[in-house]
Amino acid sequence: MDLILQLLANGVSNGSQYALLGIGFGLIFGTTGIVHFAYGPVLAASAYVMWWLAASLGLPFPVALVLGVAFAGIAGVVAYLVLYEPLLARGSPSFVVLVASLGLFILVSNMMAVLFGTDAKTLSDISYGIYVLGDVVITGVQLVQIAVFVIIAVGLAIFLRTSAWGNAIRAVTDNVAMARIIGIDTRKVAIVVFALGSMISAIGAANILVRDGASTHIGFFAVFYAFISVVVGGVGSVWGAAIGGLLLGLVESAGMWKLPTEWQSTIAFMVLFVVMLWRPTGLLRGN
Amino acid sequence: MDRRTFLRAASSLVVVGLAGAAPAQEPDVYRIGAILSMSGATPHYGTVMSRGALVAVDEINAAGGIDGRKLELVIEDHKSGSTQAAVAGMNRLINVVKTPAVLSSFSGPTVAIAPISKEKQVFVLNGGGVSLKMIGVSPYMFHNRSLATDLAAAAVRRAKDRGFKRIAQIAGRSEFGDSVIAASQEVAKKLGMEVVATEQFAADATNIDTQVAKLRAAKPDVVLNWPTTPQAGLVVKRVREIGMEQPIISMEWTNEDTKLAGVASSNGVEVATDYFAPAADNPMGQRFYDEYKKRYGEEPDFYAANYYEAVQVIATLIRRTKAKGGDFWTGARLTEALWEDPAFDSVYGGKMTFQKNGVALKRVAILKVDEGALKLERFLPAQAD
Repeated sequence: MDLILQLLANGVSNGSQYALLGIGFGLIFGTTGIVHFAYGPVLAASAYVMWWLAASLGLPFPVALVLGVAFAGIAGVVAYLVLYEPLLARGSPSFVVLVASLGLFILVSNMMAVLFGTDAKTLSDISYGIYVLGDVVITGVQLVQIAVFVIIAVGLAIFLRTSAWGNAIRAVTDNVAMARIIGIDTRKVAIVVFALGSMISAIGAANILVRDGASTHIGFFAVFYAFISVVVGGVGSVWGAAIGGLLLGLVESAGMWKLPTEWQSTIAFMVLFVVMLWRPTGLLRGN
Repeated sequence: MDRRTFLRAASSLVVVGLAGAAPAQEPDVYRIGAILSMSGATPHYGTVMSRGALVAVDEINAAGGIDGRKLELVIEDHKSGSTQAAVAGMNRLINVVKTPAVLSSFSGPTVAIAPISKEKQVFVLNGGGVSLKMIGVSPYMFHNRSLATDLAAAAVRRAKDRGFKRIAQIAGRSEFGDSVIAASQEVAKKLGMEVVATEQFAADATNIDTQVAKLRAAKPDVVLNWPTTPQAGLVVKRVREIGMEQPIISMEWTNEDTKLAGVASSNGVEVATDYFAPAADNPMGQRFYDEYKKRYGEEPDFYAANYYEAVQVIATLIRRTKAKGGDFWTGARLTEALWEDPAFDSVYGGKMTFQKNGVALKRVAILKVDEGALKLERFLPAQAD
């Protein structure tokens, strides 16, 4: 019994992280239709920037976090303006944009390795609590992961429902052609979602940096789980991405209760296939 | 026999004799190939391995090379384990560089180049990979690093020596992890120990919460930590975070692992591994240590030592085959020379002897992490002892 409780606690914590990453990725994907695989390296780069600011320049971590989030937002917008927008303007088919995003993924990953080296970057000055609740052990970082996810998910939902930009984003997500007809500047909307989505990824990057340390390949796992969360939850739905991520985390963790853990990386795809066969547009019926 | 017949026979013998002893075309330079991890996720290994090999090459050349002909190291990059890159590198070394002797590293790349070694009769000496899958794949392939069997056996024997009965083990989901798990299970069974948990995670994964939760639930006496850097450190961090206080025995530990796990969590972790340390009664090791430290400003690890040793082995083999004459600079001749006398001077001190499976027999060290530093606890005798 203690094992399943621990696995459930881990599942909620990890699922919150996947859901957070899914929300950021889904915001970009659902609104622009661009499968932004370079979301992963942007996340990794922001973790490196935070590490550099805190460990090398000695800035307090909260300051490094804010600057890292800002960096990610700018990096996301630059990726859109420099790479995706010109391709879309030339009428490139979606698979060309997809290949370009994969190229950007490899380019940024290798650049980070060249600039920062490939060893894990850790912040030795940051410590966090470890809490024992009966038979369940949970760390401060895991609690922060859950709290951050809830705050950002609720905040983003409110933003999308109540603000003018939020309405514009929802309109573009729903029907981009109609959005243009009614006068919405879809270019600006794309810039905003790339900035917002990338900034959300940087929050996830901070979790990883504090918990496991940053390395060049963290971006791969981040975009992998974000992508599956979005597809499982339903493209274009913030809540769908959140539910997809939480489900993924829970299944991946609690699903190993009786299964050998060597199956863990396979189970994410099993969830994906089952959901796609059952509800091809995702759990919350996205686009 | 008349005089004319005798002279004809004698001259024929001289001709035959001269032909037999005629030296084959001697290369201007003895080029030794090396397929190492120079980029990708773990370039550290390629850096230290190439440095160790280069120290040996320069030392041999400074002493006059092989009868005046110099050695040269030609490095190919397998990008931290890409089998495709390793095969491409091997083909370049054979077809462009035209070397019959190659140093390899990492298990996957070494297994991948084995068919080429076998077909083209290229002598391969691996000083880094530890997988059992490298055994018996090419008659021209040898290893001067203790393999997974040796290290896993040593770790399990160490656990047994300390009185533990219930083992839990964790490894990456890879060919390396699979072979280490298989080896440790076999040894544990022989020693009458119970493996209560075997957990695996995706290669490069950083989230191993589930695996560690299951390790804890199995209530083992000891945790055998098989991943390499940096995941070895990550496992220790998670195991301690979840409240497990059981002893941990790893197969590899570097400064990066201590950095990830934290100094406090790392304290007491034991490591079963090849171990290099200079000693006054080991002039070869001392010479290597001094030169390496002078040149690179850091102490050599056992990977650097293994590749220094590997180049020395190949140089010894070239001298042996050259002394016998004929077409001596071939993989087949180097292999033949190795089996004629499989004992070689070891940088670790004394002699190392290649066993029938192609693996050099060495003692395994048990090190203990103490405030971030690795300290020698004891040596375990070589497995065949």
